[in-house]
Amino acid sequence: MQIAHTTPRSLGFSRLLRSPWLRPLNDPTAWDQLLSAINPMWSTRDFPARVLRIIDETSDTKTFELQPVRRWPTHQAGQHVVVEVEVNGRRLQRSFSLSSPPNGGIVSITVKRQPGARVSGWMHTQVRVGDVLRLSAPAGDFGVAPGAAPLLMLSAGSGITPLMAILSELHAQRDPRAIVFIHACRRPADLIFGARLFELAKQWPNLDLRVHYSAQQGRFNALSLAAQIVDFHRYQTLVCGPRALTDDIDNLYQSVAAAQNLRSESYSGRVLPRSAASALSHPVRVTNTKQLFTASARISLLEAAEAAGLQPAHGCRIGICKTCQCTKRSGSVENLRTGEISSEPNELIQLCVSVARSPLELTL
Amino acid sequence: MAKTTLTALQLEQFQSELDALRAEVAADLGERDATHIRKVVRDARLYAVTGRSLLMFGFDPISFVVGVFALAKAKILENMEIGHNVLHGQYDWMNDPSLNSQRYEWDIVCTSTHWRRTHNFEHHSHTNILGLDDDYGYGLLRMTGAQKWTWRTLFQPIWYSILAIYFQWGVAIQDLKLGRWFKGRMPKGELGQRAAPFIKKARSQMFKDYVLFPLLAFWNIPRVLLGNAAANLIRSLWTNAIIFCGHFTSDAQVYSKAEAAGESRGAWYLRQIHGSSNLEGSRRFHLLTGHLSHQIEHHLFPDIPAPRYADMAPRVREICRKYGVHYNSAGFWQQYAGVLWRIGKYALPIGRRPARA
Repeated sequence: MQIAHTTPRSLGFSRLLRSPWLRPLNDPTAWDQLLSAINPMWSTRDFPARVLRIIDETSDTKTFELQPVRRWPTHQAGQHVVVEVEVNGRRLQRSFSLSSPPNGGIVSITVKRQPGARVSGWMHTQVRVGDVLRLSAPAGDFGVAPGAAPLLMLSAGSGITPLMAILSELHAQRDPRAIVFIHACRRPADLIFGARLFELAKQWPNLDLRVHYSAQQGRFNALSLAAQIVDFHRYQTLVCGPRALTDDIDNLYQSVAAAQNLRSESYSGRVLPRSAASALSHPVRVTNTKQLFTASARISLLEAAEAAGLQPAHGCRIGICKTCQCTKRSGSVENLRTGEISSEPNELIQLCVSVARSPLELTL
Repeated sequence: MAKTTLTALQLEQFQSELDALRAEVAADLGERDATHIRKVVRDARLYAVTGRSLLMFGFDPISFVVGVFALAKAKILENMEIGHNVLHGQYDWMNDPSLNSQRYEWDIVCTSTHWRRTHNFEHHSHTNILGLDDDYGYGLLRMTGAQKWTWRTLFQPIWYSILAIYFQWGVAIQDLKLGRWFKGRMPKGELGQRAAPFIKKARSQMFKDYVLFPLLAFWNIPRVLLGNAAANLIRSLWTNAIIFCGHFTSDAQVYSKAEAAGESRGAWYLRQIHGSSNLEGSRRFHLLTGHLSHQIEHHLFPDIPAPRYADMAPRVREICRKYGVHYNSAGFWQQYAGVLWRIGKYALPIGRRPARA
């Protein structure tokens, strides 16, 4: 049945305030820039958050305690935020899991410094207490479901951050379930939240904490899990770590038909080296029109899209006019004109001079 | 001054030297460029607020004149150094939505969408190719012997004066292709479709300068009306003069479609240099032209932030000298005199032979 309905009209006054006839008096960008020039926390764009404390977790990992503006929607343990920073004139975005449970206003992100990564490197060297970062609203559905089954949490490296938030919340709520918490890292010196974890394990009988040091015991994989927890498929399981680990665990649970008990989250895949990538074709998903096409790395994305019957806007086809410019949501492309590789999320690319270097998501 | 002909090998080397220069500057983009464009945005707003306030609240002739020039400067900065350059995508690498080429809407009756098509694509890819580059004479002026002469061409100094006064309108209606419509070569309804976004934008632009701000001034309505009209006139005359110096100076070359067919990027670079001309002046002068005074560098590298052209110019000039390519650069008055001379000269039915193929 079709119901004819009119969209509710917003208040006459606020509509008037946004009217194009009043431009430039009601230009939101100009007012935002004026307000944030007076006080960066007054910005109306995104959610500014002030850095309250910076804690060294390990030699390459820091926790940033942040106070977001009051209108920031409270998060759920396990969710992540997109942090936007400006590095050398460029606005860059990166997702970080929130490492603190929701507790009235103050949130933490824990950032491991990745070699060569611009955002985490900048966060480690440039951010000071009192600075203002920009956050998105919290997002993601990684977390614990209610139920009676015991919990199995497995993380590797910096994958511990969302699990730490979840574990802290379970502890605060005095959750009655039994919890096995397995964390893998290279050496004791690389253990993030070590003191807090051991403290929790000492005072909380429900928690069975196991730390796996891969430098001594070898890489942690699905076999290590099955060897330690024989009836793993009975647990409600949360996994967070590099893609290789989460894929391995996914396969394990599928092989015993227990995939419904598993939730996993992984870091995004690496960029393929150019030599290995140039012979490949990659799937491209157009997010706004839900179309799919395959892009061979030998032809431009514009040609590939046209060969698949799409008609993206275009002009000069030589990388000059930017008519074909669009937003790449995820994945890596190489600009053939400049040789530049773009692998950050939400970067602008020119279809006519770009080739795919990984599976892509585009908004045309 | 004739066009330089380079061998295929020379063209290839010529291209790689210019490519290398571009890559060097592109790799260096950063904080300095971001700070520059944000400062110009702030300055333009400050000039606009100052100019409009002086016109609105002042009552003496001195504040009127200062107000008019402040507002004209705001409009010139917004159109030339911010709008034109942002629309070229020079600051897209910053990832700042307020400085993004696909989202920016500039303060002029021409819509950004029209401009991206007629200017960024048609003019910048087909620079000075007769029949493809509509900016060559704007379908109104005969600037070279290869263009058709009719008796109306005799009066082109008059047409030019009108165009200079109403330059923003001339640019805005360019994409309507009125020429095709007059000749009855446009399907019915297409003109209306093409004109709709322009009419919408023109209406709100007119409303702002000739209704909203005058009304806000209550007793000062006539003063604000007159002041806004004067600021718009100054902007039109200035931008017109600068833009005409870009491609219509005495030494700027034209191309036929055949000459440009199948050209390599090296040949494309060469055509951009042959077809463009620079103006020399102080840093303040360059800023007020939106760095279109470095028209040659702008046409070679339209998506490099314009303030960088000043650093690139000596290097481009050096590359041109090495390959024996004429680098057309002189002071404003000398170049503009060349433009006016050309408008007068080709008003007469002279040089009516097709461009050499």
